[in-house]
Amino acid sequence: MERLSLTLDRGQILGLLGVNGAGKSTTLSMIAGALRPDSGGIQLSGEDFLEHPALARQLVGWLPERAPLWPELTVSEHLVAHGRLRGLRSNALKQARDTIIQRLELGSLLRRLAGVLSQGQRQRLGLACALLHRPALLVLDEPANALDPVQVAALRTVIREEAAAGTAVILSTHLLAEVTAMCDRVAILHEGSLRHDAAVTDSDHKALERTFFDIAMNNGAMNNRRNPTA
Amino acid sequence: MSSTFAVTRLELRRLFVRPLAWVLAALTLAQLAWRFVLLLGNFLDNQIKLAALPGGPGYTDLVGVPLLSSALTVGILPFGLTELALLIVPLLTMSTLAGDRANGTLPLLFASGLAPSKIVLGKYLAVLLWLLCWLALTLAMPLSLAHGTHLDWGKFAAATLGLVLALAALGAIGIACSAFASLPAIAATASLTLSLALFTVNLAAQKAGVDNDLVNWLAMSTHLEALLRGLVSSADIAWFVLAIAVALALATRRLAADKELG
Repeated sequence: MERLSLTLDRGQILGLLGVNGAGKSTTLSMIAGALRPDSGGIQLSGEDFLEHPALARQLVGWLPERAPLWPELTVSEHLVAHGRLRGLRSNALKQARDTIIQRLELGSLLRRLAGVLSQGQRQRLGLACALLHRPALLVLDEPANALDPVQVAALRTVIREEAAAGTAVILSTHLLAEVTAMCDRVAILHEGSLRHDAAVTDSDHKALERTFFDIAMNNGAMNNRRNPTA
Repeated sequence: MSSTFAVTRLELRRLFVRPLAWVLAALTLAQLAWRFVLLLGNFLDNQIKLAALPGGPGYTDLVGVPLLSSALTVGILPFGLTELALLIVPLLTMSTLAGDRANGTLPLLFASGLAPSKIVLGKYLAVLLWLLCWLALTLAMPLSLAHGTHLDWGKFAAATLGLVLALAALGAIGIACSAFASLPAIAATASLTLSLALFTVNLAAQKAGVDNDLVNWLAMSTHLEALLRGLVSSADIAWFVLAIAVALALATRRLAADKELG
C-alpha cells in the first residue's frame, strides 16, 4: 500500500472497492491491527493505534474474510475467548455475550463446534465476535461472501444498526451493488493505492460502475472527486 | 498480564477439547504406571540384599528417580517420563501457533492488540501447565508409597526440579518450532528432531570420537542427569533458563515478522 489516506466519521459506512489483489484486505488488516504498516499512522479519536496497540483491542472489531475460527471450539467458547481477548471481564463479558447471542440469533448454535458450521453461520459467529465488545470502529472484509439473500439482508440490518448507534464501519467488497445499498462513502483501491474517494448517493450506481471499470481496466490515476459523476 | 492469561485460557481450552491431549496423557500415564510397577518389583526382590549394603541405593534411587528418566537405569524397561516427553511434547505443541497460522486465526490474536511476546508467552504457559499436571500425576505414583518407605526428599526434589526444567525447555522448543512452521505436522517433526538432537548431541559426538566440554555442555542430558543424581548447580539451571529464553525469543521474533510482513 502507498499514499493511502482515509478519514471516517462516527456512524459513517465506508465501502472499500477494488478488484482482487487491489489491497483491500491488506488495508483492513492494518486498520484492524493485525498487520503493521512500514510507515504512516492509524488514528482513532486522535490516538495512534500503532503506538498504543491496546486501543485496537478495545475500539476495533474485525471480521476477516472467510471468518477464521478455531474448529475445535464451540460457538459459546468463541464468544468467551474473544471477549477475554478484548479485555472483557466476568459480568461485562456475560452481559455482552448474552446480548450478542440474542441479537444475532445464535442461541441454537451455542454448543455447536465451529468446525461444522455452515458458511453463513461462520460469518454470523465472526460478526458476533467482532461486535461483542461494542467497538467504535467495525472493520468487515467481504462480509457478504457466500451468504444467501436472506442472510445478506440480515447482515445489512445489523451493519445499519451499528452505524445508527454511532459505530464507524468500513466494509470491503468487490460488489458495486453492496456499496450503493449500504455505504455513505466509497473508496476505490487499485494496485495498492487509493484511486477514488467520494460520497455515495442512491442514483450513483451507473456512475460508480463506470468509475470502477475506468480505474480497473485503464489502471487510472488518482480520481479523488467528491462526486463520481463529475 | 490479563491479556496473556486470556491467550493461556484459550490455548488450554483448545488443548482440553482435543482428544489428542487426553489420549497422550492416558497412554503415557499407563506406560509410566507399568514402569513404576516393574521398578517397584525389582526393588522389592532385591530389598534384603540392598539392606545389607551400607549406604546402598534405596527407594528413591531405584524407583522414584528412575521413573522420571531411563538415563540412570540399566536393563530393558519401558520409557521414563523424560523419554516420553521427547515424543509427546512435539505433538502437544505442534498446533499452538502453526495451527493458528493454518486456520487463519493468528491475525485475530494480533488484532486483539496483543504483542507477539504476549501471544507466545500465553501459549507457552498453557503448554507448561499441561506438562506440569502430567508430571504431578506421574510423581503421585512414587509419592503414594512415601509413607511406607524411606524417600530421600532432597534427591527427589532435585530430580523433580530437573524434570520441570526439562519439560519447560522442551515445551519452549516445541512452541518455537510451531511458530516457524506453516503446518502442525511440520512443527512436530522439527520439534522432535531438534529435541532429540539437543538431548543426545554428546552421545552422537562420542560415537564419532569427539568428546569435549562444549559438546557435553550443549547436551540437555548432561544437565538433566546432574539434577537426577541430586546435584543442583546454578550452571545447569542457567542452561535450561537460557534454552527456554532463546526458544521463546525466536518464537516471538517470528511472530513479530508475521505481523510486519503479513
